[in-house]
Amino acid sequence: MTWIPNRIFVFALALGGLPLAAETPAAAIQRGRAQYVQACGFCHGEDATGNRAPDLVRSPLVNHDVNGDLIAPVIRNGRPDKGMPAFPLSAAAVSDIVAFLHARVDESLHSAHVSNDYPAARLLTGSVQAGRAFFDGAGGCRACHSPAGDLAGVAAKFTPLDLEVRFLYPRGAPRTAAVTTPGGQTFEGRVVHLDEFTVAIRDSGGWYHSWPRSQVRVTVHDPLAGHRELLAKYTDADIHDLFAYLETLK
Amino acid sequence: MKTAVLALALAACAWPQGLNPSALLKLPTDTWPTYNGDYSGRRYSPLKQINASNAGYLTLAWAFQPRSVAIKSTPLLINGILYLTVPDRVWAVDARTGREVWHYHYESAGGDHIGHRGVAMWGNWLYFTTPDAHLVCLNARDGSVRWTIELADWKLGYFSTMAPLVVRNHIIVGVSGDVTDIPGYLESVDPETGSLQWRWYTEPKPGQPGSESWPQGTDAITHGGGMTWMTGTYDPQLNLLYWGTGNPNPVLAGDIRKGDNLYTCSIVALHPDTGKLAWYFQPSPHDTHDWDAVQTPVLLDASYQGRPRKLLAQASRNGYFFLLDRTDGQHLLTSRFIETNWAKGIDSRGRPIPNPEKEPRPDGTLVEPGSDGATNWMSPSFSPETGLFYVVARRVFSIFYYTATGKPEGWAGRDRNLYSDSTLRAIDYRTGQIRWNHELGPGESVAGILSTAGGLLFTGDSQGNLLVLDARTGKTLWHASAGGNMVSSPMTYELDGRQYVVEGVQGVLYAWALPESLSQAK
Repeated sequence: MTWIPNRIFVFALALGGLPLAAETPAAAIQRGRAQYVQACGFCHGEDATGNRAPDLVRSPLVNHDVNGDLIAPVIRNGRPDKGMPAFPLSAAAVSDIVAFLHARVDESLHSAHVSNDYPAARLLTGSVQAGRAFFDGAGGCRACHSPAGDLAGVAAKFTPLDLEVRFLYPRGAPRTAAVTTPGGQTFEGRVVHLDEFTVAIRDSGGWYHSWPRSQVRVTVHDPLAGHRELLAKYTDADIHDLFAYLETLK
Repeated sequence: MKTAVLALALAACAWPQGLNPSALLKLPTDTWPTYNGDYSGRRYSPLKQINASNAGYLTLAWAFQPRSVAIKSTPLLINGILYLTVPDRVWAVDARTGREVWHYHYESAGGDHIGHRGVAMWGNWLYFTTPDAHLVCLNARDGSVRWTIELADWKLGYFSTMAPLVVRNHIIVGVSGDVTDIPGYLESVDPETGSLQWRWYTEPKPGQPGSESWPQGTDAITHGGGMTWMTGTYDPQLNLLYWGTGNPNPVLAGDIRKGDNLYTCSIVALHPDTGKLAWYFQPSPHDTHDWDAVQTPVLLDASYQGRPRKLLAQASRNGYFFLLDRTDGQHLLTSRFIETNWAKGIDSRGRPIPNPEKEPRPDGTLVEPGSDGATNWMSPSFSPETGLFYVVARRVFSIFYYTATGKPEGWAGRDRNLYSDSTLRAIDYRTGQIRWNHELGPGESVAGILSTAGGLLFTGDSQGNLLVLDARTGKTLWHASAGGNMVSSPMTYELDGRQYVVEGVQGVLYAWALPESLSQAK
């Protein structure tokens, strides 16, 4: 968002040239939020999504504003024709409100994202006990995993969201293949490529090999097959329970 | 109207290199005059020089490397010139050699550069949509700009990627949006001046029919959505335009917009001269998973239950196949073309009934398909010879998180993809049953499908291979490792007695043909 450096510049001017390091966008937004709630929130909603007056997050004027060039005059002069009074706020206060409104737009623009630090509290709706039972029983997880073995401390290694997404489908566990040539020789290794026409592996010595599928016999072992089968079976409760259990493995 | 037709005829005579509008009413052979080849959206060609007996001999005719981002467009072909796009750029390319004729670069002020589908042509003029939601009219002779108009305000989150559709003297053009809550619309502009002829808004105004499908007394309906971002189809006899609309906004937030949310995630039939709604059908009522219903509404003239019907078929992003009577929108058939887990059943009107338990929640909801969809913008195809509807289908498992804490705006959350793979499915349009499928490998294929009278399907897998399949059986007849995945929809044409098939693979446009010795030995 281009407003951030410009905003710092405006603020620096307002304070008569204090060092830039003294100001962060977050601080201006924080002050702006308080100023906004006090002056504007009653009509435009405390989160600026509208109430008796329009939603400002979706406002064309806010979206076209650059450093307050459109917003500031509206705050100072009001819109008497639409019943909005003038607000005689200081330049600094107006500037902070502008920063807050742009931050709200920015939040909406970035709302198509679940961050890796998504709070555990929102994910923890399941039962640890039921999750353990699923792990030991219906889920069949014990066939490959152990809480004291490969999963020891797993919840400390990943953020809660990462843990949930990874236990559902841990990307990156490679398939292995045994490829038998027409001469009867068998090669084994990690699958590099496998499609309708070609198989390619990297053997334990690090060498790459490829063959036309039509000329060899290929047996693939996929360690994630069990995870895929579960994706088609899980209830959402199973997932939340299993997460609650795995999150205890710190 | 007569004056417009006359003017068009005169324009075509005056510039013989331009598009003769009668080409839009024929099956495509030496011309590919519109995004899907003709108005029906079947992406079917009557050409059969390349057929099951010789497809194995296909070879490279030429490759064009614009050194650009991925080509997601389908070129038009008019009088030996291909017109190809990526965001902000148009190329005219010699269809015989792949050599550049001219190149146009648009300086967009901003907007989303996610992809571009192609241009439309009317007489001597090309129509090009831009990432900052403008429409540019170019002279097809040299790519010079005739005029530019604004379709929508890009600062509010609008952009445009679609290839416009020409219907007589109407340039039908749609808009895209994604992260912001803005209303979708489709409009018609004058081909000569760019002036607005009509605009149809996806969301009705309060009090109009359809508005009852939104909460009353709130601003929910104004949050909009329902973008018109793919090219629709047209029936010249019925004089009806068929268009798919996108998802409602906020994308994942169902609670604040309870109801069906018309006319989002819908197939609408509009009068092309007025923009008035004739009928609608909604594949995804009350969508909360980003399942735009913009997939080509394919027009079939075919038999259904023993009598010839004017049909419309869509394989929709939500995983369901729909068959309608396109004269009045009567629902005929609903079936699943891939596994799904989000619907409780089918209602009396043929619509899947969303299971509220599968709406996104803060602690996560496992949904199949994910937001990328069971299919998406890549072209389906219908072959009148096999009677099969072909679609690239994906199994996508995804976990949806609703993240908003206050009043939601924008997306209000997102899904995390877990696992996906792809398969090409041949659907019997009369029953919805899958006749055969051809697995395309792990990942989400976005390759479109072209079917031809040579009994072939042209498409790609998700492993970097281009494929030619037998349209009756799905058996592979030819393949080439192309150095990347096809992320476009193929087209074909015949020039100088040689049939070419053109396919965009990432930043390269490939033209395939039989060796010249075979092309000439008919």
